Amino acid sequence: MPVLTIDNLSKKYGPVQALKNVSFTVPKGCVFGILGPNGSGKTTLLGTIMDVLKPTSGSYLLFDEMPTENQRKGIGTLLETPNFYHYLSGEDNLQISAAIKGRGKEDIPRVLEMVNLTQRKDSKFNTYSLGMKQRLAIASCLLGNPEVLVFDEPTNGLDPVGIAEIRELMKRLHQEGKTIIMASHLLDEVEKVCTHVAILKKGELIASGDVNAILVNEDLIEISAGDMVKLKEVTAKLKEVTTIKQDGNMLQLFYPAGRADMGEVNKFCFENGIVLTHLLLKKKSLEAKFFELTNN
Amino acid sequence: MLNLLQIEWMKVKGYKAFWIFTILYFFAIVGINYTGFYINELTVQSMPASTFLLGTPYGFPKVWQTVGWMSSWLLYFPGILFIMLLTNEFNFKTHRQNIIDGWSRTQFISVKFVFAILFSVVATLFNFLVALLFGFLTTGSVFHFEGMENIGYIFIQTLAYISFAMFLAVIFRRSGVAIAVFFLFGLIFEYLITVLINYKLNLSPVGYFLPLQVTDVMLPIPFGNKVIYKDSPAVYILVIASLIYIGAYYFFSLKKFKTEDL
Repeated sequence: MPVLTIDNLSKKYGPVQALKNVSFTVPKGCVFGILGPNGSGKTTLLGTIMDVLKPTSGSYLLFDEMPTENQRKGIGTLLETPNFYHYLSGEDNLQISAAIKGRGKEDIPRVLEMVNLTQRKDSKFNTYSLGMKQRLAIASCLLGNPEVLVFDEPTNGLDPVGIAEIRELMKRLHQEGKTIIMASHLLDEVEKVCTHVAILKKGELIASGDVNAILVNEDLIEISAGDMVKLKEVTAKLKEVTTIKQDGNMLQLFYPAGRADMGEVNKFCFENGIVLTHLLLKKKSLEAKFFELTNN
Repeated sequence: MLNLLQIEWMKVKGYKAFWIFTILYFFAIVGINYTGFYINELTVQSMPASTFLLGTPYGFPKVWQTVGWMSSWLLYFPGILFIMLLTNEFNFKTHRQNIIDGWSRTQFISVKFVFAILFSVVATLFNFLVALLFGFLTTGSVFHFEGMENIGYIFIQTLAYISFAMFLAVIFRRSGVAIAVFFLFGLIFEYLITVLINYKLNLSPVGYFLPLQVTDVMLPIPFGNKVIYKDSPAVYILVIASLIYIGAYYFFSLKKFKTEDL
């Protein structure tokens, strides 16, 4: 049973189209990353499925049912910023969240401990640092040990140790069988923790699916020779090459990560009567892949 | 609803401004009525004949109306308080978080209005006690149930002011704008429009049916009101109009909150 099914969702803010006919499905038990640059519609998408924004058109299902407020009670959500009553302590704020979710106070010490806020639980929220506010928001998500968690930029404002802790926490939650939906503009964050990914660009879904299929890591060898036609013929016989593209007077040979062997290519061409005038190995980074996916 | 109210109370009880506003408001009710009571005593002492004009405003049975009318000047206090309670949510984005955590949009707005009803009940009870106190303090006055319908009017008027204020908060979302509009409309523009409608356009009593004005006419100044509010409609019509307004504030606040992006 899918946790979330999004069907042709569109959202306009006046002339700005924040989401354009987005459809995808989040299966149970996965860590689903929604990846995209700033302003690509990630928060709009999550805000819509949490009913704080109204879609212009399209619909969505939670747990294969029409969404209601009671379903939201079973989903721990951090949307955009930590939203708490500034004049109340961290603990009092969690009591309000727990009460709205229909859960008792018993769980509050546990979640405070999980995000290392036990010592500051009696301090007012407006005395917290940015990182502590973010931790409190994550603690609030964990209240009642929900089966589904939605995190919008969960590592915002955290220091490197905090970031590592949150990633560890997400991996642990994933191992416990929870479903996590996470929006992020940080590619390596998605790569490190997600099993599935959807990539948004200017409100359009440009790819979605298994993270290894979408964010595949590739090696790239660039070669050139006097006789490009013959070079093309010959390289077509090379083993392990996944794709060959011509870029001006260069050929680009794509290999699965770590499988490109320059010596082998050089030798193969020479044995087939071609002298290479250019031979270069390019490790194609995920960043480059991301730019390729999100830029024109 | 009880559960929702408990949560609302958790939000409010830790909010210092709520207690400061409420306590000041209650002190001010006693204060403004004591001032009226004292001035009336002085006037009667120096000019015994004035009782023919003024009557005994702080004696039974007139005291219910007098206290209600005097206290009504202070209704901007709870109005501002409730504007702040709502705009705080918008500022902290906790209105979003409440929805995200599992309230429906209807629940969010409804519990605020129910809380306003409870606050109005408490304020009305306090007015009742103050009226009782000054009634007994007035020499020669004997407790009388007559005129006690005014206690009901106090409740309706308090709720009307507060729900009007909340409506403005939902419309404008910012405390500064909502408070400014509340004051300017309530203290200046509404009177202006009433006068224009009733006297310039000769459409009296239409001008008495403006949102806050209608409650002011329902609970009028205890002496000379026949001059000030001449040809005002029957009280029961004003009561019905006030209740319709309260319902409309709730309905339109809910409508806006339910259909909009938060």
